[in-house]
Amino acid sequence: MTMVRWNPGRELASMEIDRLNRMFEEFVGNTRAWTPTVDIYETTDREFVIKAELPEMKREDIHVTFENNVLTLTGERKTDFDADNGTYHRNERFYGKFSRSFTLPATVDGNSINASYKDGVLTVRVPQREEAKPRQIAVGE
Amino acid sequence: MSTQWDVMRELSTMQDRMNRIWGGLYDRGHAANGGHEDVSGHGAWLPPVDIYETAEKEIVIKAEVAGLKRDAIDLTVENNTLTIRGQRPAEEGAANAQFHRSERVFGAFSRSFTLPNTVDASKVKAEYRDGVLTVRLPRREEARPRQITVDVQG
Repeated sequence: MTMVRWNPGRELASMEIDRLNRMFEEFVGNTRAWTPTVDIYETTDREFVIKAELPEMKREDIHVTFENNVLTLTGERKTDFDADNGTYHRNERFYGKFSRSFTLPATVDGNSINASYKDGVLTVRVPQREEAKPRQIAVGE
Repeated sequence: MSTQWDVMRELSTMQDRMNRIWGGLYDRGHAANGGHEDVSGHGAWLPPVDIYETAEKEIVIKAEVAGLKRDAIDLTVENNTLTIRGQRPAEEGAANAQFHRSERVFGAFSRSFTLPNTVDASKVKAEYRDGVLTVRLPRREEARPRQITVDVQG
């Protein structure tokens, strides 16, 4: 078996390409899809934390799936603006469907994913399996 | 009826989207500025805002400030200018974390809007839920359209 060095840059680049592709799909498809902003970090306990800004959404309209190490956030934000009787003066917010996917390392524990929604932010916590955590190995004589 | 494909418009839409994606947060307000409110804003970021008028002629302002606590938002009305200020603190527990993706913006913001004189600023109401601040300004009684019947003599 050949060893392949993990290249985080390559993974990030592929995610960037996904995003560009999606952007052009939106552009060509002329739908009003949006891309919620996301932070992903790994805590000192080696837990992955994914935070997505999804203000003014109903919990039941947010879907989180994990399949083949890909975490996908999808959903739809509906507007309460009454287009027949109201008038927009300014419209900077996005409404409609969104979908974002992130590939997580093979070391994560897909059975212990936890998701919560507060103050318009979705937080997904994905722990890593015990065997993936760094271990101190005592050196014998 | 078929509409002619307007290349320039499509390109400008795309440019707007590109700006948004690559951090052109400061251009956002200008790009979407179709209203008559004077706008000024400053800070590390500018929350996106929708402003609309309802059938009852009430002005509704909705600002996206996801992740903020209610007491971190400051709303003032002074001399017909409504100002929303706030501070989004960096995530707790993320201080020593290793970031793989960082798209969210933290820090202070401030946005101001000039209110039309048809609204009653003394009756401003605001609520905060699920990361969105909603400000409602009812229309002044005297600004409502009235039906006047004129007797025509003769």
